[in-house]
Amino acid sequence: MKQLAVALVALLFCAGATQAKPARVASLNLCADELVLRLADPGQVASVTFLARDPRSSNVAALARQVPVNRGLAEEIVPLAPDLVIVGAYTTRTTTALLRRLGLEVLELGVPQTLDEAYDQIRLVAARLGTPERGAALVDEMEAAFAHLPAPAAQPPSAIVLRPNGFTAGRGSLPGEVMARAGLDNLAARLATDRLGQLALEEVVWAQPDVLVVNAAPDAPPSLADDLLTHPALAAFRSSGRSVSLPIRLWTCVGPQLAEAAARLAAAADTVAKAATETAAPPPGGPPSAPSRIQTALPTTGEAAR
Amino acid sequence: MTASPLSHKALIATLCVGVAVLLIASVAVGYAPLDLGAAIADLAAGRQTLPALVLAELRLPRAILGAAVGFSLGITGAALQGLMRNPLADPGVVGVSGAAALGAVVAFYFGFSSAFALALPLGGLIGAGLSTAFLLTLAGRGAGTATLILAGVALSSLSGALTALALNLAPSPYAALEVVFWLMGSLSDRSLAHVALALPFMAVGWALVLTTGRALDALTLGEDAAASLGFPLRRVRLLVIGGTAMAVGASVAVAGAIGFVGLVVPHLMRPFVGHRPGRLLLASGLAGAALTLGADIAVRLIPTRPELKLGVVTALIGAPFFLALLRHLKVDGE
Repeated sequence: MKQLAVALVALLFCAGATQAKPARVASLNLCADELVLRLADPGQVASVTFLARDPRSSNVAALARQVPVNRGLAEEIVPLAPDLVIVGAYTTRTTTALLRRLGLEVLELGVPQTLDEAYDQIRLVAARLGTPERGAALVDEMEAAFAHLPAPAAQPPSAIVLRPNGFTAGRGSLPGEVMARAGLDNLAARLATDRLGQLALEEVVWAQPDVLVVNAAPDAPPSLADDLLTHPALAAFRSSGRSVSLPIRLWTCVGPQLAEAAARLAAAADTVAKAATETAAPPPGGPPSAPSRIQTALPTTGEAAR
Repeated sequence: MTASPLSHKALIATLCVGVAVLLIASVAVGYAPLDLGAAIADLAAGRQTLPALVLAELRLPRAILGAAVGFSLGITGAALQGLMRNPLADPGVVGVSGAAALGAVVAFYFGFSSAFALALPLGGLIGAGLSTAFLLTLAGRGAGTATLILAGVALSSLSGALTALALNLAPSPYAALEVVFWLMGSLSDRSLAHVALALPFMAVGWALVLTTGRALDALTLGEDAAASLGFPLRRVRLLVIGGTAMAVGASVAVAGAIGFVGLVVPHLMRPFVGHRPGRLLLASGLAGAALTLGADIAVRLIPTRPELKLGVVTALIGAPFFLALLRHLKVDGE
C-alpha cells in the first residue's frame, strides 16, 4: 500500500512533464519490448516482458537479459513507478486498464498492417522515448534493406504461410506485405477470411502454392500445433524443395528482422522461379534435383528447411 | 430373447452396410473440391497426383480413425455396461477416457513420444488400464450404481485436472490451448502415421473384449451362476480391463477423449439384440463407428472455422440422452 502511494505521488509529480524524456519505461508486450530495447538508452528501460528473453520468440533476447522482466501483472509494474508504460492493443487488457486508472502514462501500440505503419510506429516510440534520431536511423536501415531486394518477377511465385495450428498470414497483414516485397504472391489472401485466418490442411495442399512458408521453430517442444507442420500430406513440399522454414519471430514484431524475413523469402522465390523455367525447358541430361539447390541457395542460419 | 440368429445376422449386416456408407461419405466430405472417382483411380494406379494425395494422406486416415475410434468406444461401452451390470458405464462417464488422455498427454508433451513413437498409445493405454482396473475393483466389492458413477465422476475430474496441470507445466507455448483437444477429441488433420500407431492396439483390444461375449451373457444370471458355467469372473474382468485399456487408450491417444459414444450406443442397440450383452458387443462397436463417423461428417459440414471438436457434437447428442436415461432409471428404481 505504501509502495502504491509512493507510485501515485511519483506519477502526479511526473504528470506535469509528460513529454519530457521518460527515465523509467516499462513494456508489457513482446513487440513493444523489441522496440524499447532497440530504441531506448541503456538504463531507461525499467522492465520488459519475460517473453523477450526467449530466443525462440524474441529477436532481442540478449538485450532483454540485462533488464528486469515482468509477466504482465499490474502488481509488478506499479512498484517500478514507471513514467511511461508501453502496451499492446490486444494484450494485458486488464493490467492496462488498471494502470490507466492509477494515472500512469500509457502508450498503446496497435498491430501494423503495412510497412509504412511499421515505420510510423518506430518513429512514434522513438519520439516518446526521447530518442527520435535512433528511430529515424532504424527506419532508414530497414528501408535500405528492403530497397536492396531483387525486383519481383513478372509472374511472382505463389506462396502460403503455414503456422502452428494451421494459422496463416492473410490479406492486409504485415507478413503479407513482406511477402509481396520479397516477390511472392500470397495465395492465402484469397483463401483466408482475415488477417490471421486458419486454414484446413486440405485447403493448403489443394491450393498448390509454389512455395510453402513454414513458420516453425525446429527445436520447439512437442505440441499438436507444431505436429501439424510435419504432416505427411506436406511431405511433397519438403521433398521437392518448395518448403521454406522461416522462424515466426522474424515477422511477428516490427524491427530490422522484417528485412531478413524478406531476404530469405526473396531467395526462395528466386529459386522456385528458376526451377520453374528450367522445368519448362529441361536441359539435356535432365534438370538437377530441386531440393539440393534450394537448400544451398537459402541463407538458413541454423534453421534448415525441414 | 425374441431375436432369432437370422435377424441378428441381418442386424450386423445392416450395421456393416451403414458403416461402409458412412466411411465413403466421410471420405467424400472435406474442404477441397475432390473428385472422388478420379482420386481413387489415381491412387489405385499409383499416380502421385494432388487428388490421390488428399485422399490417401488426409481423407482416408480421418475416415479410418473415425470408424476405429467409434468402434472402440461402442464395444467397450457395451462391455463395461455388461460387466458392471450398470447402464451408465461408459469409458467417458466413468473416467477411463479422461485417464487415457492424461497418460497420452504426459507421453506427448514431455517428449517421450518424440523419442519413441509407441510411447503415445502406450501412455493412453496405461491411463485407461489403471482407471478401468480401479473401477472394476470397486464394482467387484459390490459398489452400487451411484457409488460407481460417483467414483467415475471423481476420476474424470481428477484426470481432467491433472491433464490441465500437465499441459500447463509442459514446455510448449501451445500446450495449454490444446487441453480442448484432449478433453473433447477431434479427428482433424490426423495422418496415416496415427492410424498405424493406434489401429493395432485397438484391434487387439476389440479381440480381447469380443472373447468375453458368452461370459457376459452368463453373467446376467449372476456371478455364481456364471462361474458354475465355467466363466470365472476374475478372468472376464482381466479380459475387459485389458481390452478396454488397449482400445480406449489407443483411441484417446490419437483422437482425444470423445464422450458419450460408449454410453448412447449400447442403449440404442440393446432392443435389437434381445438384450443379450454378448451380442451387444459387436452391434455396439459397429453402431459406435457409425455414430462417430456421422458426427465427424457433421463437424465438417457445420460452417464454423476452426471446425468444432468432435466431442462437442457427440455431447450435443449424448447429454440429453444421458439425462433421459437418468430419469428413466429413477422411475424404474422407485
